[in-house]
Amino acid sequence: MFRFAPYVLKCLWRHRTRTGLTVSGTAVALFVFCVVTAVQEGLDRLTHSAGAERTLVVFQENQFCPANSRLPEDYAPAIARLPGVRDVVPVGVFTNNCRASLDMVVFQGFPSQQLRAARPLELLSGSFGQFEQQPDAALVGRAVARRRQIGAGDPFTVGGVTVAIVGVFASEAPAEENFIYTHLDFLQRAPGRNAVGVVTQLEVQLAEHADPDTTATAIDDHFRHGPVATTTRPQGVFQREVVADLAETIGFAQWLGYACLGLVFSLIAATTVMAVQDRIKEHALLQTLGLRPLRVFGLVMAESLLQSLAGGLLGIAAGLLLLSWWGFSIGTEGVAIALQPSLRLAVWGGSVSAGVGLLAGLAPGYQAARTEIVPALRQA
Amino acid sequence: MPLIEIKNLTRQFTKGGETLTPLDAVNLTIEPRDFISLMGPSGTGKSTLLNLLVGIDRPTSGQIVVHGTDITRLSRARLADWRAAHIGYIFQTHHLIPVLTAYENVELPLLLLPLPAAERRKRVEIALEAVELTDRADHYPRQLSGGQEQRVGIARAIVTNPTLVVADEPTGDLDPRTAAQILKLIQRLNVELEMTLFVVTHDPQVAAVAARRLHLDEGRLIEAPGADPVPA
Repeated sequence: MFRFAPYVLKCLWRHRTRTGLTVSGTAVALFVFCVVTAVQEGLDRLTHSAGAERTLVVFQENQFCPANSRLPEDYAPAIARLPGVRDVVPVGVFTNNCRASLDMVVFQGFPSQQLRAARPLELLSGSFGQFEQQPDAALVGRAVARRRQIGAGDPFTVGGVTVAIVGVFASEAPAEENFIYTHLDFLQRAPGRNAVGVVTQLEVQLAEHADPDTTATAIDDHFRHGPVATTTRPQGVFQREVVADLAETIGFAQWLGYACLGLVFSLIAATTVMAVQDRIKEHALLQTLGLRPLRVFGLVMAESLLQSLAGGLLGIAAGLLLLSWWGFSIGTEGVAIALQPSLRLAVWGGSVSAGVGLLAGLAPGYQAARTEIVPALRQA
Repeated sequence: MPLIEIKNLTRQFTKGGETLTPLDAVNLTIEPRDFISLMGPSGTGKSTLLNLLVGIDRPTSGQIVVHGTDITRLSRARLADWRAAHIGYIFQTHHLIPVLTAYENVELPLLLLPLPAAERRKRVEIALEAVELTDRADHYPRQLSGGQEQRVGIARAIVTNPTLVVADEPTGDLDPRTAAQILKLIQRLNVELEMTLFVVTHDPQVAAVAARRLHLDEGRLIEAPGADPVPA
């Protein structure tokens, strides 16, 4: 079959305008598909991460936006005494936007001695020592740094909070790279915050054999009659509930991604059908020379596949390049969904392109293979 | 042993409710190195017989036995394999593939045979040399004259050294001078390369160069009495 590769390529080149338009249309559709799938992957990663089940998030009851959750910081030692709890970290969260946003900035304030234990960060620049010594110091996630074009040594201000960036970090959890970590007491005393002794949430690390639901219930029961009631959920559940509205939109967008694949199918099928109809006589000639009908079918399938793969790979490459270059994230209420390029995304996109190309070639390929030779050769 | 035996070959068509029988129990034997011309009025079934002979059409009844194999019983795929190995087809309108060069057009049938690239190259060069087009090997069909295109078509037909070369009005689209050149070339295939030829034509001059001259009329095949072929 590879002996006919030059013929297939030359046939595509013969109608290069048509081929070019088909490939570019496919590229645009696969670009959209790639980005939409990256959003879905980001959401899945967020809600199914390793810590999603073994970490509990304690929030003020019936609140989701960080700005509205105000828990007494001294809840932390009380929770630490409950059975099944290994560690408790009080976290202050400040975000510039509680609604869905493509450029959400989230400050998370940690007690400085607990940050390194709670978040496995890999510093790309700067040092933890400087962070611990400087009260207004901040470590910035790689995605935010890229998006906002900031780095170690820069000051950074959002919503009246000004921090001094002393390092940029990477994380195994891509969503983390959209956060800015600073000191809890600095964030509590930031201008206009008036939050000394108050935190947004408490992160509870469970002991090895502790049941998440039992511990969560125990925490909420403990504070049911306290100054502020709590709602405690595993981190994954908490994040799913926070981004529930966004997830619906993402789910709808996923359908748009599938619609793009339908578009590619129609585009490639239409182009291949046109190519077959243009070359009915040529396919009859090839069969007269001795090409088996199955081989003619294969030639048409190859044309369809090549166009789909060329467009698909272009679109996916553009999508991955954009995702890796720009560090996109979609966030809401202090939770960020990181849009990341991945090998899985590339392989999935490539496979989908190939699959759509093959499907689109089936009908025209069959048509070409079933050409009646004598009437086709007689065509003007 | 004859090369090809056509036995009681009948082909019927239904057109507008009427049954037409262009070939009615036709019998013919073709020996190796025969040069046969087939004439007859338009619409009498000359091309139909040729198409049946190369297996691109199916008879209503009868047999075509080539080297002991009845090709009318072969599947479409097996027939394609058989054509690739045994048939060279020269068309009236040459049917070259426009995106391929003369060289690539001639090489096309060889791609279907299990031949290494070096052997394919050698055979294409010999075929192009036989039709005196070595210097046009890299030209595309649009860069060739009508006569040159037909010579490329002939090179493509002979490049596999087929059992039978068929030609359907091979000079029908050419001016008299070019037609004469092509005719000479076709005759050389038979005389010098000892190929078996079956040529369908309207042109008595073309028919005259063949050693055996057949006439098809009202579904019946009539062979003219023996006559020496006229040099092209």
